[in-house]
Amino acid sequence: MSFKQPSILPGFGLTFGFTTAFLSAIVLLPLAALVAAGTSMHWSEFLHVVASPRALGSYRLSFGASLLAASINVVFGFIIAWTLVRYEFPGRKIIDALIDMPFALPTAVSGIALTTVFAQNGWIGRYLEPLGVKVAYTWLGVTLALTLISMPFAVRAVQPALLEVQRELEDAAETLGAGRFYVFRRIILPTVLPALLTGFTLAFARAVGEYGSVIFIAGNIPMKTEITPLLIVIHLEEFDYHGAAALGLVMLAISFVVLLAINLLQAWGRRRHVRAAR
Amino acid sequence: MSITLDQVTKHYAGAPVVNDVSLDIGDGEFFVLLGPSGSGKSTLLRAIAGLTGVDHGRIALHGRDVTHVGARKRGVGLVFQNYALFRHMTVADNIEFALRVRHMRARRRRERRQELLRLVALEGMDDRLPAQLSGGQQQRVAVARALAHKPEVLLLDEPFGALDAKIREELRRTIRQVQRELGITTVLVTHDQEEAFAMADRIGIMNFGRLLEAGAPHDLYSRPATRFVATFLGAANLFLARRTADGIRVGDTIMAAPERSDGAPEHEVVAVVRPEEVEVAATREALGSRYLGQGVVEEVMFTGAFERLRVRLADGAAAPLLSSDEGSASTTLQVTRTRYAQRGFELSAGQQVAIGVRRLHLLPTPLSSFTACAPSAALAESLGRQPLLTELAARMKTRIGARIEPDLGVAQAPCQTLDTFVGATVLAAQPDCARRAEWLLRRGAHELLVLPEAAGAPQRVLIHWTDDAARSATLGVSASVLRHVPAEAVYVGIVPADSDASRPQGMRELLDARSEAQAAHGLEMRTELRFGDATRELTRRLADSPAQMLILGVTELDGFAARWHALLDAGRWPVLIVLRPAS
Repeated sequence: MSFKQPSILPGFGLTFGFTTAFLSAIVLLPLAALVAAGTSMHWSEFLHVVASPRALGSYRLSFGASLLAASINVVFGFIIAWTLVRYEFPGRKIIDALIDMPFALPTAVSGIALTTVFAQNGWIGRYLEPLGVKVAYTWLGVTLALTLISMPFAVRAVQPALLEVQRELEDAAETLGAGRFYVFRRIILPTVLPALLTGFTLAFARAVGEYGSVIFIAGNIPMKTEITPLLIVIHLEEFDYHGAAALGLVMLAISFVVLLAINLLQAWGRRRHVRAAR
Repeated sequence: MSITLDQVTKHYAGAPVVNDVSLDIGDGEFFVLLGPSGSGKSTLLRAIAGLTGVDHGRIALHGRDVTHVGARKRGVGLVFQNYALFRHMTVADNIEFALRVRHMRARRRRERRQELLRLVALEGMDDRLPAQLSGGQQQRVAVARALAHKPEVLLLDEPFGALDAKIREELRRTIRQVQRELGITTVLVTHDQEEAFAMADRIGIMNFGRLLEAGAPHDLYSRPATRFVATFLGAANLFLARRTADGIRVGDTIMAAPERSDGAPEHEVVAVVRPEEVEVAATREALGSRYLGQGVVEEVMFTGAFERLRVRLADGAAAPLLSSDEGSASTTLQVTRTRYAQRGFELSAGQQVAIGVRRLHLLPTPLSSFTACAPSAALAESLGRQPLLTELAARMKTRIGARIEPDLGVAQAPCQTLDTFVGATVLAAQPDCARRAEWLLRRGAHELLVLPEAAGAPQRVLIHWTDDAARSATLGVSASVLRHVPAEAVYVGIVPADSDASRPQGMRELLDARSEAQAAHGLEMRTELRFGDATRELTRRLADSPAQMLILGVTELDGFAARWHALLDAGRWPVLIVLRPAS
C-alpha cells in the first residue's frame, strides 16, 4: 500500500500529518503511558491487583451490565428510531430532540435523577419494592444507568439506516405474498443490521467507560455493585497509581477484544455479501 | 373480465384523488393508464394491487371480490419505477422471494427461476447483486420477480421512467413479448403517450382522478370525446366552430358538409384539427383541402421524420382558434408535415401561406365557451375575472366572452345584443338574480351559470333535473363540467314526501340516471334519493357542506323565478342551469 493521493485537491501531506499528530497526542500517547505504567509492575504484583476477587467482580459487573445495556438499547433504540422515522405525530420533533438529552446532561445529574425515581421511596421504586424488585443499589440500577446514558448512540446509529429502507421494498415484498414478520426479518432487518451493530458498538463503548451516573445509583458495594472505573478511582485515591493503571490496562484489553470481535463480524458480513456477488 | 373496477374512489385530505372509476379489463389485455402526474393513475394502480385501501367502490380480480383483501393475498405482480429490488439479495434470491414465502422446494424454485431468467433474457445472472446490474437489467429482474408466483395480473408503475431512451425501447419490447407469451392481464401506468401507443391494447386516460375515456389507441386519437384527451394524446388545434344548417362553420368558412340534422338550432361546437391534418400551400388554389385562411409561418422545427410548424393565422381566420397551451394567450396553429410534403414546398419563418384543413373532428361537448353577461362593460369584465370561471375556462382551454345587456332583467325589454347566445352564459349571483336568469333563459340562453363572486372550485357537484325531458342534456353538461374539476358527482333524485307510491318510481329514476350517465356520457356518479319539495331539499343539501355546486336541468320557465329565487338569490353556490324545453 502506498501513499496515494485519491483527490486532486492538494494538502494531503498536511492533513495526514495533522491526523497522525493529533491522534498521537490525544489517543496513542496516553494509551501508551497507560500500558507502560501497567506493565512496569512486577507480574505477580500485577496479577494480585487485576485478579483479586474484588476486581474480578467489578469486571463482571462492568462488562456484563454494559453488554446488557447495549443489547437493550439495540432493541428499544430500534423501536424508537422506527417510530420517529415512520410515523407523523404531534410532538415528533420534540421527542426527536429529547433523544439527545442524555448526551447533554452531566452524567452525575442523570445518576441522581435515576436514584430519586428508583430508590425504595422513589416515584417508581416504591411500587417495585412490594414486588420484591430492587433497582437502586443493585446491578439492575447499574444496567439502568448505563442504558440511559448509551441510548442516544443506538437510536442515532439506526435512524439514518431506517430512512434508507424504501417503503416500496416493503410494498414489493407484500405483493409477493410476504407477511409483516417475514418482511421485517428478510427485508428490513438485513438492511439495518450493520447500523444496528454500529449502534451496539457505540452504546457498549460508552457504557463501559461510564462512571458519573453509575456511582450514585449503584451503592458501590464491593463484589456486588462496584464497577471497574470506580475501583480504579479507589486505587487512585489510595495513591496506588500502578494498580489503577493495571486495572485500566485490563479494561483496555477487554474492550479492545469486544470491539474487534464486532468489527470482524461486520467485515465478515460485508465479505459474505461480496462473495455472493461473484 | 380479469379486472373489474366499480366506482372506485379514494380521498386524500377530503379531495378525491381517484374519483368514481369504473372499468373492465379483459383477459390477457394490455391496458395502459395514461395521465399527467397527480391524475390519480398510480393511486388507482396501488388500489388494484391492494397496497392502498379504497373509500368507496369495489375491485374484483377474475370475478373474485378483493376489495377487502390485502396485497399479500391478491395474487398480483407489481413492478415499480425504481425497481425496488432487495439490494442485499442476489438476483436468484430476489426472483425466488415469492416462492420462498410459499415454501416451494429448492429444486422447483431453481427451475422456475431459470425459466423466468430465460423469459427476461438474463440467463446466467443468478448470482449477481442488483448493484452490479444496469438499470435495464435491474428492471428485468423486477419483472421476473413479479411473475415468479404466477400472478393473475401484472401491474407496472411507470417501469421505464428511470431508463434512457434506447434501453426503454428494448425493455418495452421484452415486456410486451413476455406479456403475450404468458397471456397475462397487464396494467401499465405512464404519463408518456408514445409509450401508451406503443404498448397498449387499450388506453384509459385519467385526469383529476377521473377516468375520462378508455378505448383502442387509434380510436382515442382520431375520435376523442373530450378536450383533455384531444390535447393530451398528441397535439391538437382546437377551434370554436358553429354547427349550422349549411355545415360546420369555422370563422367565415364552411369547413365540413352538414351532418345528419338533429333539428338543433345553430350552436357552437368545439372542433379538433390534428397538426397533420392541416395543409399549407403557397396559394389558396394550390390547396387540396378546404381553405381555412391565410397565415404567416412563425417557426419551423426539424424533428427528423417530421417537420413541425407554428403558423400565425391572419386576423379573420385566427378568431375561432383556441389557445392550445394553458395560460398562454398566443394562438398559433400547430402543423406537422412529412418529408414528402416538405420537398414539395420548402418553408421558412416569415413566409405567407394558405392554410387548408383535411379533416376535423367535433367534440360532443355541450360546453364550448363562456360569455359573461352583465348590464355594463365594467361589470361583465369583472365577472369574467371570477376565479372559478377563469379556472374552468383555462382547464377547458376555452375563452370567456362578454355580452352587455343594459336592460338585463327589465320585463318586456328585448336583448340589446342581437347575436345568438353561444356556449354557456354566465351571470353574477346577487339578490334578484333569479329574475335575471329567467330573463336570459327566455331570450335564448340554454346553459346559464349563476356565479357567486367568492365561489371557488367545488368538491362536490349535485345534479338534479325537474323533468325527465332535461335528463340527457343535463347529464351531458354535467359530464363536461366534471371532466374539468376534481369533484365528486352526486345525482339528487327528489320525490314528493307525501306519496309512498312514488318511492319505487324514484329508485328507478336513480338507476336510470346512473346508467345513462355511464353509458351515454362516460360520467360516473353517486345517487341520492330525497323526499319533499325540490327547492327546499336542494337548498338543504347544498348547505350541508362547503364547496358544492348545483347543475339544474329545467324544461319550462313558467314560474321559474318564483320557484328558484330562494336558492339562486342566496348567492352562496354556483348553479349551472340547463334549459331544454320539452318538445
